[in-house]
Amino acid sequence: MTKAWLKSIVRQSPLPSDPESLSDLVAFAEAHHVLGQMATVWQNEATGKLKDVFENAAIRTAFDHRMLAFEMGRIERALHGTGIAPVLLKGGAYVALELPASEGRRVADIDILVAEDDLEQTENRLKEAGWAFEETTDNEYDQAYYREFMHELPPLRHIRRRTVVDVHHRILPRTSRVLVKNDMLIDAAQHLKGRELRTFQPVDLFIHSSVHSFADGSFDTPARSLVELYFLFSGLSEADKSALAERSVTVGASMPVATALWALNEFFGEKVPGVGADSMIKPASALVRGAFRAKLENISGAYFAKLILYVRSHYLRMPIPQLALHLMRKAARQLVNAVKREDPLKSQ
Amino acid sequence: MEHFRRLGDVPYPELAQSLKDGCLEMSLGPFSKRLKANNSQVTEFLQDAYRDVPVRTKLGDITDVAVTIKSPSWFRQYVRRQVVADPGFIVPAVPLPVRLSALSFEMGLNLAVALKCCRLVSFHAAVVGNEKGAIFISAHSGGGKSTLASALMVEGYRLFSDEFGLLDMSNSLLVPYPRPVSLKGDSINIVRDFTGADWLTPVLSDTPKGDIAYRRARPSDIEEADKKLSSKLIVFPVFTKGARPVAKELAKSEALMRLIPSSTNYHLLGQGGFEALTAMVAGARSYEIQYGNTDDSMKIVKDLAAGVGL
Repeated sequence: MTKAWLKSIVRQSPLPSDPESLSDLVAFAEAHHVLGQMATVWQNEATGKLKDVFENAAIRTAFDHRMLAFEMGRIERALHGTGIAPVLLKGGAYVALELPASEGRRVADIDILVAEDDLEQTENRLKEAGWAFEETTDNEYDQAYYREFMHELPPLRHIRRRTVVDVHHRILPRTSRVLVKNDMLIDAAQHLKGRELRTFQPVDLFIHSSVHSFADGSFDTPARSLVELYFLFSGLSEADKSALAERSVTVGASMPVATALWALNEFFGEKVPGVGADSMIKPASALVRGAFRAKLENISGAYFAKLILYVRSHYLRMPIPQLALHLMRKAARQLVNAVKREDPLKSQ
Repeated sequence: MEHFRRLGDVPYPELAQSLKDGCLEMSLGPFSKRLKANNSQVTEFLQDAYRDVPVRTKLGDITDVAVTIKSPSWFRQYVRRQVVADPGFIVPAVPLPVRLSALSFEMGLNLAVALKCCRLVSFHAAVVGNEKGAIFISAHSGGGKSTLASALMVEGYRLFSDEFGLLDMSNSLLVPYPRPVSLKGDSINIVRDFTGADWLTPVLSDTPKGDIAYRRARPSDIEEADKKLSSKLIVFPVFTKGARPVAKELAKSEALMRLIPSSTNYHLLGQGGFEALTAMVAGARSYEIQYGNTDDSMKIVKDLAAGVGL
């Protein structure tokens, strides 16, 4: 893909006029889960087949948003009377707040954040309401691993509706090298009007999205992440934009925020404060930024860039000896499973 | 921009090259497709089963779906060669041996359309119609809907589709999508007997679904693919070998509750889907029919059709 595509998706530049390029762009947007966003910003101009394709995407997204609204209500009901007001994260927050970043956004599962002290009660209440761990994670090692080292419980899937809730008690794994001050973010969270649900304040929404994209994992949904950051950033007030750098330092997320601002400047030409040699916050190294760029521009290739980002994601996640131990346990389990599993050809 | 041509009028080398380049655009009913395949069996199958369908060998517009027929891995290009259909997103498609490329293409296209379509309520059903209205035949695979649809085509009905009942949410009309009719096992001979061998593709034998052949849609079915119709008769056929023919009228509520699980996307569509489906059921009479052979099922359906003025 090219920078031009990303700009076309958010309507910074026109759509390609020749059918083959447009077809490739639409296929790219769909494969990278940003067709809905593209459909939203272009819906009034689209004609012919493009209109059909955008209409199709809009109907699909509308389902996700209805599902999300329903499940938010069910989570609230499950926690009723506990005094716990979970913070909706990511898509859930954008949809609840009706931000531009929510328009056309696909949502697969619901992410919520509760204070660590409330984790046990939240888990129990959700289980009483019909959510349960999936078979793949319902074992002693996985449960212990998630609880001791990760920032969330294993995914909880509702036994009848099949919807998934990820209950977080931190922004990043406990062992992460990036130390985000979870309490500060939670304390500043704001109640949704009349509801026992909260969302981060606008600046922190952008900070959290940056952390998610650039300090957690290996940039596996690059187009989606950047489109999200773009719409979040353009939805901020001027005051929020100027407060961003300082706030990111305060909450311990300056590297991912600086990297996000660099990316907005790099891919969308956004004039953003806090980018440049004299800025108070510093993005990831040039090598890592190069790898982000390469992975975005050549999603099917860029093997070296992917390797760098993969290694980086694990380096950021936990100390090396602990990582080695974990990977060994996972490899051993795969081996045991492979031996246990019957040869699929034999069983036919 | 290139104009649409009948696929049968495109010379083989041009068709093969266009497929290889991944820029063959096929337009049929509500869905257009971009097709890619470097595979002579797919090319030949298209020439046969899609002979009268409009295509362009150079992409003139974007499409609803894009399907690539390719090898599941580098290794399978050379050893015990296999193909799999790739609609651009992850689907539970099973790799098949190269000799079954046509089946892989049809299954892949069905899956791509069924999983992607949200503009129309989509049901697993066969639909035929005449100028007065449509007959909607809901059934599980093997319920005999394709045989019945083929038989009704001989009686002068237009083919809408034998796999997809498509319902327009804005006006509750059924939308034609005349793809080739997929025939399995015994029904191949039955249909060949009453339509003539000329309308059927060669039989693919020993597939995961047994023997399969396709009955081509007629030029008139394809030319009228933009004419939508309201549903007048909804039937739920149950084939039991040797059974005596019976038709039992169903309450509208019962018909509705039977149709919902046969839809691939009803659960996604919310109010629009509900309103379109209830309007369709309200405007038609619904029957469960039991039968033991094609003649019986034809007789029952013709009687029922006459009863609703078709």
